[in-house]
This record gives sequence, C-alpha cells and structure tokens, in this order.
Amino acid sequence: MKKLWRCHVCNDVHLGNKGPEVCPTCGARNAFVLSDRAEALEIIGEDHPVIGTPQEVVAAWRQFADQSPTVRLTEKDEEVELLSQGVLENRNTKGQRYCPCRITSGDLRKDLGLICPCNFTRQRTYREIGECWCGLFIKRDGT
Amino acid sequence: MSENRLIWFHGRECPHCRQLRPVVERLEKDNGLTITQLEVWHDEENAELMRSYAQAITPACGGELGVPAFYNEVTGKAICGGRITAEQLLEWAKG
Ligand code: SF4
Ligand SMILES: [Zn+2]
Repeated sequence: MKKLWRCHVCNDVHLGNKGPEVCPTCGARNAFVLSDRAEALEIIGEDHPVIGTPQEVVAAWRQFADQSPTVRLTEKDEEVELLSQGVLENRNTKGQRYCPCRITSGDLRKDLGLICPCNFTRQRTYREIGECWCGLFIKRDGT
Repeated sequence: MSENRLIWFHGRECPHCRQLRPVVERLEKDNGLTITQLEVWHDEENAELMRSYAQAITPACGGELGVPAFYNEVTGKAICGGRITAEQLLEWAKG
C-alpha cells in the first residue's frame, strides 16, 4: 500500500511508495519523512477550491495537456464542453469526476481508474488511433 | 421485460454516442429494426443490466464497460466503441 510522506522543510504532502527525492515545492533533497493520515489531513486543511464548474474542469484538463509533450486536448470544443458537463454530473451523482463514456463497477477502488483524466495511454483506442476512449485527449503529432 | 432485444447502452454526455444517434436511427428506419436505447449514467437499472452483460461487452470495448455499446440479446453478441459503422451495426443486428 502507498504511504504518506511529509517534506520536513515545507510540509509538502505526498502519497506514494516513497517520497520524492527533490521536493517539488521547496527544492530540498531527501527531505521526505513518513507521515500519517491525521497529520497529512491537518496539513492539507479544508480551504482548497472545489473543481465544480465546467470551466474549472476544463482548466484542469488544459493544465494537464499543456504540460504534456505527448498529448493535447481535442480541438472539438463542443465535445470538451459536453464531457466537462458529464464528469460534473457524475461527481454530483456518483461522487467523483468519472468518465462519461464508461460506467462504474461499484467497487470504489477499481472505480478510481475512471476518474478523468484516467490512465488512457493503456487504452486500446489510444494505442490504435491515438485518442482516449472519449476522444478528449489526443496524441500529439510526431510523438 | 422481453429478453430478445437489440440494446444500445449509451451515456447522455458521451460525444461518440451523440454522433452515432442519427446513424442508429437511420438504420432502424431503413431496416425496420427497433434498437432499445438505455442510458447508463443517469439510470442505475440500465447500468445494472449492462453490468450483467459484462462478459460479452467488456472484451468488445477493449477491457472495460464503455459506451457506446450494443448488445444483441438473441445472439449474445456485443460491439462497442466510438467508431462503429452502419455496416457493423447491421451485421450485429442481423446476428
Ligand atoms: S477516457 Fe478520456 S474522457 Fe474518459 S476518463 Fe479517460 S481521459 Fe477522461
Ligand atoms: Zn519541501
């Protein structure tokens, strides 16, 4: 099981098999110490903005795609809009921003794999035609 | 409930499903078929039915339960994905 880690310099929190070698926030090296849920939740606090509107969903997708050398967002704006509405519907009715083009199994652990963006590079559609299942993320030309 | 339907499992906010709708409706008209449309994100009963056919649908979708997915209750055959053509649909419907 993944563990919680805390940067002892700036209190960055990380969930993973090990802490990052270099803290992404403060740059300290070998700075992560084992943490626990209560400590991590205390650090995280409660005042983070919710991703609750289609615009906010799309902004997160863009941030993700813009930093990626291999994928971009589709140019079909109406589809982006429709999908953003879908993931929000799913958040409101099923709890998370799940993919509008697949369905949950009811097994919460398994369904984590359906939160958008999912790990679409392992999908058949991505391997064969360079698109995530819904056509939201597209492989960049020449990659 | 009849058990020999041609079923289209779709999602209201799935772009491929939206594109496929006129293709399906034309196919029904041209061939005198009825394809029952069941929405799976906003209707849990439909989702349950889709899960009950997972054995056929999952491999057709490439490993997960996705939409658009078509299930033929007579033949047990499923086809799935955003690039389904009218020809493939007809073949699926005719068994
Ligand atoms: S298939 Fe595409 S739209 Fe669906 S969850 Fe994955 S990345 Fe998001
Ligand atoms: Zn730090």
